[in-house]
Amino acid sequence: MVWLNIILNRLVWLVPTLLGLLVIVFLLSRVVPIDPARLVAGENASPSQIEAVRQQLGFDRPLPVQFVRYVGDVARGDFGTSLFTQQPILDDLSARLPATLELTLVAVLIATGLGIPLGVLCGLHRNSWLDHGLRIVTVSGLAVASFWLAMQLQFLFSMKLGWLPLSGRIEGFPPEEVTGLVILDALIDGDPEIIRSAVSHIVLPAITLALPAAATMVRFTRNGVLGAIDSPSVAYQTAMGYPRRQVVWKYVLRMAITATVTQLGLIFGILLAGAVVVETVFDWPGIGAYAVRSILQSDYNAVMGFTLWTGAIFVLVNLLVDLLQATIDPRGAR
Amino acid sequence: MATRRDLMKLAGAAPLAGAATLAGGLPARAASTDKFVYANNSPYDNIDPHTVFDIARQATRFNLYDGLYRWVGNPPQMIPWLAESHTVSDDGKVYTFRLRENAKFHDGKPITAEDVVYSIERMIALKKGPASLYIDSVKPGTTKALDARTVQFNLTAPSAIFLGTVPDILIVNSALVRRNERNGDWAEPWLARNEAGSGSYALRRYDPAVGFSARRFRDHFIPFGERPFEELEFRTVLETNTRVLGLQRGDFQGVDGYMPYDQIQRLRGSNNVQIVEEESLRVFQFAVNTTKAPLDDVHFRRALAHAFDYEGFIRDIMKGSVARNPGPLPNPIWGTPKGLAGYSYDLDKAREELRQVKAPLRPITINALAGFSESEQAAVLFQNSLRQIGVEVRVEVSPWSVVSSRMRSPETQADLVPLWKSTYYVDPNNWVGELVNSRYHGTRSFCYYKDPELDAKLDRALAMSDQAERQRIYEEVVQAVNDLALGIFIYNTKWYGPYAADIENIRFSPVSNGQDLRWAQAHK
Repeated sequence: MVWLNIILNRLVWLVPTLLGLLVIVFLLSRVVPIDPARLVAGENASPSQIEAVRQQLGFDRPLPVQFVRYVGDVARGDFGTSLFTQQPILDDLSARLPATLELTLVAVLIATGLGIPLGVLCGLHRNSWLDHGLRIVTVSGLAVASFWLAMQLQFLFSMKLGWLPLSGRIEGFPPEEVTGLVILDALIDGDPEIIRSAVSHIVLPAITLALPAAATMVRFTRNGVLGAIDSPSVAYQTAMGYPRRQVVWKYVLRMAITATVTQLGLIFGILLAGAVVVETVFDWPGIGAYAVRSILQSDYNAVMGFTLWTGAIFVLVNLLVDLLQATIDPRGAR
Repeated sequence: MATRRDLMKLAGAAPLAGAATLAGGLPARAASTDKFVYANNSPYDNIDPHTVFDIARQATRFNLYDGLYRWVGNPPQMIPWLAESHTVSDDGKVYTFRLRENAKFHDGKPITAEDVVYSIERMIALKKGPASLYIDSVKPGTTKALDARTVQFNLTAPSAIFLGTVPDILIVNSALVRRNERNGDWAEPWLARNEAGSGSYALRRYDPAVGFSARRFRDHFIPFGERPFEELEFRTVLETNTRVLGLQRGDFQGVDGYMPYDQIQRLRGSNNVQIVEEESLRVFQFAVNTTKAPLDDVHFRRALAHAFDYEGFIRDIMKGSVARNPGPLPNPIWGTPKGLAGYSYDLDKAREELRQVKAPLRPITINALAGFSESEQAAVLFQNSLRQIGVEVRVEVSPWSVVSSRMRSPETQADLVPLWKSTYYVDPNNWVGELVNSRYHGTRSFCYYKDPELDAKLDRALAMSDQAERQRIYEEVVQAVNDLALGIFIYNTKWYGPYAADIENIRFSPVSNGQDLRWAQAHK
């Protein structure tokens, strides 16, 4: 019942949220001093060529008509056609989603694997050398620009040590698509060289994304642990003689992790919406790189589609986070 | 209480462990000499040869498709390609091409005159990319297949440049494309992602997010060299640093040749990289919007032309990597009068010209191209020197998409735009004709100057075939452009093609910009 309430509540807000986003994005895209018809027709196109393209794309109609038509199309799942790839935007986004999803999953796994245990340790050893040291590291981790970190990792691990590939998702083109997740497809394919190539290619971009995310999780987990460790319930568990390991990793962590889960959801949403810089630096063919290209080429439909996609992802991720929090701590959901 | 050992266990979590397992070292992609990997700064998001026409994405046009003729080498020479010969009627309006006998598409179907007819009709109907070269001269339904190997173009008027633009008519497999047409769409969405050509390489894999790979077409009608690459892979790598590092590391065998010069210098330091230098046909200039006061006054334009520090820009910003180009035509092209010196940096002369300007001065706008450092640096340098003669300048930096949209109309075009005029066909009309002739206003021109006398001269040069007379006309027009200061011409671009050191026989042409890779091969 709690879950149903949360889902209904979020769904009610989904429509006006996306509609508001749609209005803003549509208006902004039309304010930019670019003529999309000219872009599509080519820089040397004649006026008649440009007009033909304008009519073909519907840009000759009044703005309200264009907007109503666009909203109707979106409602039917038609985000329009990319001005450059000539493919439906949804197809373009779907084709790039697996790359971003794969990178996001690995980055979140690394961030969680690092962030939560280190956050617990910091909380348990408040004001120790470990706590101070990790605080410096996490603040630095948050402050570091991702493009700088990406380039340093490339320089060290690809150029100096030669351990890892510089860029790309795999050597050459990926194996036959089954799931779209290259590592999984490589495992299905069974060729050890492809598996090795797929795994090695994801390490650097995933670490670049994971380190700042891990820093956030360390800080939130630490604060959660500090709040939980002095609580009466933990005092009770300790007094009951439960082993310390069990008290910490079962009871303290459960209470401490609520805020971390919220952050985890936000990080997942941000990464899934496209790690724009990291995907560009590492030539990772995901949604972030698609967004960059679309912006550089002023591909209106693609930019609007990407923005809507981002908005929808955030709404969805918020919903999932709420559900997860309701599971971890049902009191908050009531 | 957690021990230090616990901490170490946690700190050494999955990612670093994963990296460590790979520490054995990975072979660089260059290990294979059968494959050439090219990293490009523009996306291969569309591979339709009748839609894509910009310089950065020519790899699909030149490697997957063939035209009747082809521009090769530097200075560019047009050589027979799919056609073995042609004739022109006495009135200069009928061009008849004879096709080779042994030419086939990748699916084995012979190339016929019908395919040529379908291709030009498709280009004109789509009205995109290269269509602007033909839309006035070739009308729908006028091109005829006289027999299987003879095709006839019937132009609306004689054209001296038509032959020079013929290489841009790339021939598609009409039967294959027709099979994929839907509701009269000329199979535009299909050909954006698939290939129907006869080029030296046949498409193998294509992913708009990544690029494309192509396998050598062994049945191509032009023989290959001794050791051609069996496979080409063109990848989109937006980040310059990644392209540079990838070439140094051996992941790529070639990258785009118009990188900022500091990156070229950086690459020169690598033993495994060679820089192929060629003088291109790409004039860097300030486009001048001559329609707005005070830029409609020749004295103001001359003042501007005297206020740019040409030598300083070439010496200090371009590090001497380019040659001064005083007129609108690139130095290697015929049509510039002998001894044309252009303008020199002389602020006294600039002030003298400025005194003769009748309209009140106002701040002028320079719209530089975002992402092109030379364009931005030229704008700032010009801003500084113009301030010294009392002309205030506002520098705006916008992506090319914004700049080109603004340039569509004299009302929206900025006063000055630092840009390059590239080669689409090798004829003076490509540069000076398109700059000045008012028939190109709003399309291929960015000057908006209108002089019926100059228009008449340029129209005459377009319609005649007498080379000596054409040269005389263009020399007159170039002199007039110089006298009227219709542009501020700075340098002719040098192409610095970065390639792996073990690649040889890169044949650069200013039309294909080093992306026509059928000639390239690896050292023995």
